[in-house]
Amino acid sequence: MAHTFDAIELELLWRRLISLVDEAAAAMVRTSFSTLVRESYDFSCVVTDASGQSLVQASESIPSFIGTLPETVKHFLRFFPPDQLQPGDVLITNDIWLGTGHLPDITLAKPIFRGGKLIAFSATTAHAPDIGGKIRSPEPREVFEEGLQIPPMKMIAAGKTDETLVAIIRKNVRTPDQTMGDLYAQIVALDLMEDRLLILMENYALPDLTDLAREIQGRCETAMRAAIRELPDGTYHSELKTDGIMETPITLRLKLTIKGDEIAMDFAGTDAQVDRAINCALCYTTAMAMYGVKVCTSPNLPNNEGSFRPISLSAPPGCIVNPQFPAPGGSRMLIGHYVPMLVFGCLGQIVPERVMAACGSPMWGMNQSGVRDDGKGGGKPYANMFFYNGGMGGNTQRDGVTCLSWPSNVSSTSIEISEHIAPLRFHHKKLRPDSGGSGRHRGGLGQEILIESRSDTPIAVSFLAERTIFPAFGIEGGNDGAPGELHINGRKTDPKKQYVLNKGDTVSLGTPGGGGHGDPKMRPEPELAADIAAGYVTDRAAYCG
Amino acid sequence: MSAPLSLGIDIGGTFTDLVIHDPRDGRAIIWKESTTPDDPARGALEGTRRVLAKAGVKSEQVGRVVHATTLFTNALIERKGAKTGLLTTAGFADVLEIARERKYELYDLFIEMPKPLVPRPWRREARERLAPDGSVEIALDVEAALAEVGELVEQGVESLAICFLHSYANPVHERAIAAAVAERFQNLSISLSSDIAPEIREYQRASTTVANAYIRPLAEIYLERLEKALSMSGIPGGLFLMLSNGGLTHVSEAKRAPVQLLESGPAAGALAGAWFGRNAGLERVLAFDMGGTTAKLALVDDGEPLVAYGFEAAREKRFLRGSGLPIMIATVELIEIGAGGGSIARKSDLGTLQVGPESSGAQPGPACYGRGGMEATVTDADLALGYLNADFFLGGAMKIDRAATEAALGGLATALGVGHDRAGFGVHDVVNENMAGAARVAIAERGRIPAEYALLATGGAGPVHAWNVARKLGVTRVVCPPGAGAGSTIGMLMAPARVDRVASFSAPLAGADFGQAEAIFAAQEKESLDVLRPTGADASGRVVRRLADMRYIGQGSEVTVAMPSPLTEAGVRTAFEAAYKALFARTPPGAAIQFVALRLSVSAPMPGAGGKIELPRHPRAQALKGTRAVFFADAGKMLPTNVYDRYALEAGVIVQGPAVFEEDESTFVVGPGATARLLPDGSILAEVV
Repeated sequence: MAHTFDAIELELLWRRLISLVDEAAAAMVRTSFSTLVRESYDFSCVVTDASGQSLVQASESIPSFIGTLPETVKHFLRFFPPDQLQPGDVLITNDIWLGTGHLPDITLAKPIFRGGKLIAFSATTAHAPDIGGKIRSPEPREVFEEGLQIPPMKMIAAGKTDETLVAIIRKNVRTPDQTMGDLYAQIVALDLMEDRLLILMENYALPDLTDLAREIQGRCETAMRAAIRELPDGTYHSELKTDGIMETPITLRLKLTIKGDEIAMDFAGTDAQVDRAINCALCYTTAMAMYGVKVCTSPNLPNNEGSFRPISLSAPPGCIVNPQFPAPGGSRMLIGHYVPMLVFGCLGQIVPERVMAACGSPMWGMNQSGVRDDGKGGGKPYANMFFYNGGMGGNTQRDGVTCLSWPSNVSSTSIEISEHIAPLRFHHKKLRPDSGGSGRHRGGLGQEILIESRSDTPIAVSFLAERTIFPAFGIEGGNDGAPGELHINGRKTDPKKQYVLNKGDTVSLGTPGGGGHGDPKMRPEPELAADIAAGYVTDRAAYCG
Repeated sequence: MSAPLSLGIDIGGTFTDLVIHDPRDGRAIIWKESTTPDDPARGALEGTRRVLAKAGVKSEQVGRVVHATTLFTNALIERKGAKTGLLTTAGFADVLEIARERKYELYDLFIEMPKPLVPRPWRREARERLAPDGSVEIALDVEAALAEVGELVEQGVESLAICFLHSYANPVHERAIAAAVAERFQNLSISLSSDIAPEIREYQRASTTVANAYIRPLAEIYLERLEKALSMSGIPGGLFLMLSNGGLTHVSEAKRAPVQLLESGPAAGALAGAWFGRNAGLERVLAFDMGGTTAKLALVDDGEPLVAYGFEAAREKRFLRGSGLPIMIATVELIEIGAGGGSIARKSDLGTLQVGPESSGAQPGPACYGRGGMEATVTDADLALGYLNADFFLGGAMKIDRAATEAALGGLATALGVGHDRAGFGVHDVVNENMAGAARVAIAERGRIPAEYALLATGGAGPVHAWNVARKLGVTRVVCPPGAGAGSTIGMLMAPARVDRVASFSAPLAGADFGQAEAIFAAQEKESLDVLRPTGADASGRVVRRLADMRYIGQGSEVTVAMPSPLTEAGVRTAFEAAYKALFARTPPGAAIQFVALRLSVSAPMPGAGGKIELPRHPRAQALKGTRAVFFADAGKMLPTNVYDRYALEAGVIVQGPAVFEEDESTFVVGPGATARLLPDGSILAEVV
């Protein structure tokens, strides 16, 4: 006999579930070593039902993991069916096709039992401080170059840690203490979710989560279907070009079909996978596409399985948004961050007021690695990744925000911290005037960062840098933002390659501005005058022209 | 003593609370005056006149005035501060605007980030550069910087923030340009980042320094005016200000760094919680203050409110982390939740019952106010459940429209598809769950468990909800202090003087120069005592806390650890590992430890800070006011429940739950199974036995 929940009981249980994953997320932020976890919340915590269908996810989870984490739990179940799971197990993988599309994201999951029966999983994904391999750049040709691959396995079996696995991980990463420390931080979060969930079930006398999951997921599914039903049926196409590699652009294509209360997305016609690490595994493509649909249709809906059931997705195997083994994917956001924009290209045809002009994303970053000379012919290896963001696109309501991470949510590293941990000197970090695409609502500005090496030993650097060829486009009559720029020692440089910096060498990164929204001639004079006074815009004639 | 009395003034958004207190016998009189937003000092002075009259004392008898205000926070929220300029290291004037580059809301494409307090034309650069260790790489070009500042002054800038890269490690350039600016532009107010918040992370430090500069001219004028007006009204005592850290300071320190006052009111509330908790013999207290629109939670461990070293002011979205301006100042740690008496109950988009964060506010207010509010609120539910007395609302000062409450709850019940009674308790229960959830996360962030805490309830709605919130948390003791509606003001009267200082100290623990660390602590203590002395605090009774921000090398957030004396590598390691384990249950294997900053706080008792509070008592014979039907979830129905006038109950009296204790501003409700005891200080301690 299925238990039913009234409006009050359901709210109480839901609140408790949200508070328990948020509690686990708080514990992880405080215990993690990874800057990405602590300062950028590049992680997530989730509770799924016994079949891996998500019930509730931490409030501050970044969009990509909201889509991928429950899927990874379902993959775990394929490798370890319920009869092979026992209390005290912790499962682990960083497989890029089963996980998030690149190796540094390690997923752990713990089966939760009540009365001897598997009733749920707690799971977390977090970006590890290092996973070995070539430092993060688009350069690798195969996933083998990108670091250690951990297939789905038990890191802990019935409470007993697999010391062989731990030894292999420690030997293969540059930062063994920190990488392992973060895995333990993830385990703290898993245990906490398990403990709180069992208390909650005890309090409310729930034998399992079946009925509650059905109710929570069902309500979200209903709400999502209602939101889709409001959209006119039809098939909508969009296409965009990314910088690609070696000056060969990559074309992404999407066909989005709305029929009744369902959306189907098809990436047929998208260019093939490449032998560089910008391939975007289907798990990540899916997460980004779902995010694009959700922000336009039902931004306030809680994240769980139900919200995404009415949406399906397909991409031909071998295309760059569904690459096949052993395609590398370390920098998959260089394709993946375009995917929500591709969705906007379709939905903007029917609900233009809900989308924005293109953003100066994918996010930019500079990876450095080297060896600190210890004066004895040896030294300690180090690796750092610093992130910088471009401007957001303008929208119907207002200008795009200047220098804001989107669709990801990765904050920029403090300059003072950067100079403490890396032998670098920053000469400036400033807004790029005129980089926001003009429009009734201007695109957000990008920024320019000038960095000099002060290291006696060479520093290997690589970049995440896109939109250096194809700028963030404007919509509804708005103009494009300024493209991004990368210079080494003042010379324009291919951002997809790896370089070595010697002492005194400089790198200049100019992140792209966002696209404008609406006709620039419609921008009210006081707003334009304010932009000129602030130096966001330097040329009035060029703005309106 | 010729002027033995203390006067507390807490200016809030709606009301200015005043208390006059005689520390010799504890006698206290409370007064609530409407706040006068156009000139808050006016309401404060009018309230002062009234509270003195009510107490029957003369202004000459007031030996000190302690003060908290939301004035400066409001100036930040409403962007009504001074015309402020910023001088940075060349190349970094835009850091204040570029900020953290992180969204506080993932699914809002139309997001707005907080605007910087200094617009771009007023952000200027100086040629200078320090290395991360503080050594000078490029000497300061004073003349060029003066020319930049000169332009700002010409454009009407009144206050200047100076924030150079790595100045936390060496203030030399900031001080040099400040001296030159002060000499040339004598009317310009100057705030240095190395002085206001000498901590690593340029954006957060600049944000704090700019906020200080932005409110400083306002603070100078306001505090001078208030001080003068109090003195004109015949009060001989000095004026002391409540700081966000839960201590008092004198006017000149408040004028130097008013950014320390942003959370003064809530800090006083937490302090009151700590003080009543100590009186009741409780080590760990969860101070729970619930008013009309929000609830605030503060953890008190070992009799002291927990202090954090950063918070956010002027959020774009009040309850969303990351939407405000970071302020790196020692601040009593508070969690604010959108849950109050006015919180509106609605059917959510998903068909569940949602309560808050939207509030009916003062207008129209809850349906029962009869001012046209149609939606059910928490207060309406509390009324329907019998927790509140329709005939004694705000001490009988407000007439209640029961029919409006019934109609609003009826509408909600229909929308939700539940029974009328179920809807009423549902609203009460859901808002309690929201608060309990926030408390669980806050307590877990410190590696503690709720059962170790007692709940201390204040505010108009706090005592109404405390018993049921406690039960959700597994908390077995609930305290309701006397004058629960004016708790903040009482906290200020008991506050010590306090100074917090921070200095950068970046070094691995292994091989750290402890001589240098001791020298930093010694300098901080001397500086703190210099600030403390003019408050008249009893320095011989001072408590000095030596703390360090530490982490494992590679981590990006720090743990603040109490330092052993003398400092030794082994002693510090033990202290750090113990603190780390308390928070996170275990320490990572094999990782090295480092210092990031040293902190020192000094607090010392204020003369005139009282040992007890005695509010006016009512005749003992009138203790039992009557009986009314009150809903309790355990019983699943309304139970006939005794209603007491709490000020007519004597110390030592024991009352078995269910029971209701009334006072003018609030009502304390305890359920069946509770044993409530009147404590000597007038608090009611209710326990599950």
